[in-house]
Amino acid sequence: MPFAGIDIGSTMTKVVITDEHENILASHIGPTGAEHRHLALRVMEDTIRHAELSFDALDFIVATGYGRINVPFSDKQITEITCHARGIRSLFPTARTIIDIGGQDSKGIKLDSQGKVADFVMNDKCAAGTGRFLEVIADTLGIDLEKMGEISLAAKGFVQISNMCTVFAEHEVTSRLAEGADVAQIAAGLHQAIAERVVNMTRRLGIEKDIVVTGGGAKNPGLIKAIEFQAGFAVLIPPEPFITGALGAALAGKDLFMRGIKPELPRKKEDVRFFS
Amino acid sequence: MNTINQYYAGLDMGSVSIKAVIISNQKITGWALIPSGGNYKTAATTVMTQALAAAKIRREDLCGIGVTGLGAQSTPFDARPMSDISCQARGCHVFFPSARTLIDIGGQFTKTAKITDKGKIADFLMSEKCATGSGRFLQVISRILQVPIEEIGELSLTSQHPIKFSTNCAVFAESETISRIAEGAKPADILAGVHKAMASKVNMLLKRIKLAPDVVLTGGGGEDAGLAKAIGQIIGHPILVPPNPRLTAAFGAACLTMETTSG
Repeated sequence: MPFAGIDIGSTMTKVVITDEHENILASHIGPTGAEHRHLALRVMEDTIRHAELSFDALDFIVATGYGRINVPFSDKQITEITCHARGIRSLFPTARTIIDIGGQDSKGIKLDSQGKVADFVMNDKCAAGTGRFLEVIADTLGIDLEKMGEISLAAKGFVQISNMCTVFAEHEVTSRLAEGADVAQIAAGLHQAIAERVVNMTRRLGIEKDIVVTGGGAKNPGLIKAIEFQAGFAVLIPPEPFITGALGAALAGKDLFMRGIKPELPRKKEDVRFFS
Repeated sequence: MNTINQYYAGLDMGSVSIKAVIISNQKITGWALIPSGGNYKTAATTVMTQALAAAKIRREDLCGIGVTGLGAQSTPFDARPMSDISCQARGCHVFFPSARTLIDIGGQFTKTAKITDKGKIADFLMSEKCATGSGRFLQVISRILQVPIEEIGELSLTSQHPIKFSTNCAVFAESETISRIAEGAKPADILAGVHKAMASKVNMLLKRIKLAPDVVLTGGGGEDAGLAKAIGQIIGHPILVPPNPRLTAAFGAACLTMETTSG
């Protein structure tokens, strides 16, 4: 029995197809464009093809993420907090705290002993503490965002970045560069600044082991090191940190299906465009 | 009273520009304003020379120099740095004795203060953590829209339908601006939206210090009529702007120096 989850984030759209034993049959990641609905269908169809399935063979489709309302073919929409927790429960049953660092927001989620969401905090108001902060500053430093983690690991010590605000931090980094500061140490300082912000935010919930880091931020080894430093604990990283929300969405669909909730067929597959 | 031809200078070393004002009898007789650049000392000397030339006096004619602003510690002159908000308040009081609330929107910081009927600071609150309330936000947006910063105020006033930003973060607003341009939004409506977002941020500070009229706006923000209008609308009081609002702190520094020197 195949179940699909689609997670439309601010920068990436992720699709996961699982079976009823929670095994991942296929997963796919594409960039989120302005035309969510158009893209959602394309990423979904790609994933279905990889899993060698057909659209109608899917027993349940759940959409999540900030663009979840733009998925006409989904059977249900569920918030990303619930889906993240569901995905992590499958991957790491011992997890009690999730720190998710996305392209445009960051979240802290506290799980109870059943792996259900007990509480959460979220920052989507300000670029500080999100992937966007790193994206902007990587540009100022003239290095690839993907390489920033590796580069920072080479640093002995770090340059303290005192500004929380991305705009001001960018200015501060320019000044440090002008003074001849080491790029690796600046990168390490930036990771510390983000880590401090998200760890302090999550601390409001009480940080309990095990801690899992998800989202694009989990792909950055320098940021992971900084989070471990700030939290004082080692953290767990999913094998594919981008897709835990989509995985959770698929599994949440499985849970509904197993409770006897069936989708309304046929699904609306229209390919709606925002701008003609 | 023999105050004839007693000259004092005020120097305000800000994050974006350095201003020098020469006064005689609380009247500005000369001033200059230049970008701060990378060397505060050189810029301070240059701006002072220009202001003295504008006032048609020599350095030796000055009875005292007052220095304020972010870079006041780097002053090349023999002068004690003064708090910029005290200088702002002093300067505002001379122009508007009825002023009880001061808003200073500079390149990097936004400051709000309650001032007494004597022009002294009663309370003070500053936003330095977030670019949204500061001139930096306007610089970022004016660069994207390719509208010179001096023109954004007038353009904003022509807006019929200010856009509503879904965010108050300057970084997120930057990408939102790009999307809105792609959707065909008018620059005037985008600017009016930015002014509203800034005004709501300033209003948060004003609520905390419990504003009282009259309200004066100084700093580079005072040059922006669109911003002044947006703040006025959100707080429900008219906004007073002194002539040359970027000079108020330098002017106040000169006034305070005159008062302390002539004792």
